[in-house]
Amino acid sequence: MATAKRRAETKNARGPQNSKKKLPKVSTGIAGLDLVLGGGFPAGRMTLLSGGPGSGKTIMGLQCLLHAATAGQAGILVLFEERPAAVRQNAWSWGWDLARLENKNKLYLMDARLDPEAVVSGEFSINALLAILDQRIKSMRAKLIFIDAVDALLHLYDSPMRERHELYALHEWLLDRKLTTIMTVKTVPQETAPSQYAFLDFMADCVIHIDQRVTAQITTRRLRVIKYRGSGYGRNEYPFIINDDGINIVPISSNVLQHRPPGPKVSSGQIGLDDVLAGGYKCGTSILIAGTAGAGKTTLACVFTRAACLRGKRVLYLTFEESPESLVSNMLSPGLSLQPLIKTGKLLVRSYLPEAMGVEEHLFYALKELDEFQPQHVVVDAISACKRMGSDQAAFEYLMRLLNACKERGITCICINQTSGLDMAEDISGVGISSIIDTIVLLRHRLTGGAMSRQLIVMKSRGSKHSDQFHEFRITDEGIEMVKA
Amino acid sequence: MKARNRGSRKSAKPRGETYLFRLFVAGNESNSSQARANLARLCEERIEGSYKIETVDVLKDPSTAYENKVLVTPTLILIKPLPKVTVLGNLNDTWQVLAALRLTPVQR
Repeated sequence: MATAKRRAETKNARGPQNSKKKLPKVSTGIAGLDLVLGGGFPAGRMTLLSGGPGSGKTIMGLQCLLHAATAGQAGILVLFEERPAAVRQNAWSWGWDLARLENKNKLYLMDARLDPEAVVSGEFSINALLAILDQRIKSMRAKLIFIDAVDALLHLYDSPMRERHELYALHEWLLDRKLTTIMTVKTVPQETAPSQYAFLDFMADCVIHIDQRVTAQITTRRLRVIKYRGSGYGRNEYPFIINDDGINIVPISSNVLQHRPPGPKVSSGQIGLDDVLAGGYKCGTSILIAGTAGAGKTTLACVFTRAACLRGKRVLYLTFEESPESLVSNMLSPGLSLQPLIKTGKLLVRSYLPEAMGVEEHLFYALKELDEFQPQHVVVDAISACKRMGSDQAAFEYLMRLLNACKERGITCICINQTSGLDMAEDISGVGISSIIDTIVLLRHRLTGGAMSRQLIVMKSRGSKHSDQFHEFRITDEGIEMVKA
Repeated sequence: MKARNRGSRKSAKPRGETYLFRLFVAGNESNSSQARANLARLCEERIEGSYKIETVDVLKDPSTAYENKVLVTPTLILIKPLPKVTVLGNLNDTWQVLAALRLTPVQR
């Protein structure tokens, strides 16, 4: 959380919200959303969250309410559809203890479900609701109000005209009391006809549309800020995830490249290879190790990993192809003992099944490790497997954003890519990320005189001299050995 | 009270039950005033002498409104006889209200 906050602060400075007189804002309790909104929801005004069923509207509002309540700002949740008990129970699945905040009088769940059997005869107004709220607001000194599923109330009016009239009245009432309001409204996914509540988009000061889409069997949630009066905001569609601790967004918020310049050279872990690379890899750059199956890509990456850990650096190893146990066991064959490095906390191996999650979730976990483990080097094994996160585009997004994140933090990133054939010129980088790769090391097999030999060539090394020859190497019981020509 | 009401009544009435209404109003807003007048008229016409109306002004007593799950005004709740009935609105539609409250026309 602290690191996320730090990032939020540093990015704010160069984000869209950089004006002289800032609109007062209320944190949403979601670091990434605060970035998109340039600080949070507008204070004392109304924010509308609209989306289909299961899109995450209620969680978003609840997260904001909880964040405020935890910080001592009292808030009220008005429930038109759900039972308060059910909301309390659901909140537990994110570890949120609503009852505790209710006991402290920082949160109030108001049961505003209507009697479904009530008969309507003639005109009426929502004055009773307002009177109840008024009393509650005053007694709690509430500053924040979250009105969930207001459409359930509006249905009573049975007339779009009256609904509109009452909502405008409610809006004025809330503004008069300087309440920061979050209101959710359901939308049906239809592009042709405007939603019945489209006018709400015009009324509210800040409007966020939320939806979820399925592509290649993987669901991605996205949100978009439609408007934000008096404030700048991120104008893209932002994917987000809902996991154990609520909503998480990792927006691409910086519109400028904030890459740190490459650092000094660092050994590849193999003296002979260092010679080929004129000293080794450059710190904080992206290195691609490409080659056919069995060419020694993982071994080469592990040679580097081990050497770096032994120098006291932290390495994060993300693998999409094997479990940590199997990686450790397989690397024993070329004599690379990784287990002791894991034990001393220098090496962190994380393995994920690519198709288990969408890009956002993968990215979220990767960035979380970058912030928590603070590695100096990262290995991604293998980027070819990233396509299984959904599509080529998904793999590209994942790697582009991960590599950018590494470059912003000055982390060296080694990407392994399995190429299909021996003619590798086409698919060296596989997913089109070669433009932000600084160094490419290509591995290949050669069949000579009834035996197989392995060769490597440095195809590219930005800002550095390097050999332009193929070099033969062997995988031995003690790592990798360059064969003298 | 029940007995007295029953005894004092001259005309026939639906089995002599006592009706208890709770009417939630918001001060003197127009819909609330209409509901008050409409309810009083209906009761006088149909169940004269055997009813009681408790009026709650939600502006003065929001807690009672909340306890009764009343969010809109006017709201009329028929407490007795059971089952409970809730009618929202100014009660302008006489027939609809009578039907909802089970106050069918008196058989003479």
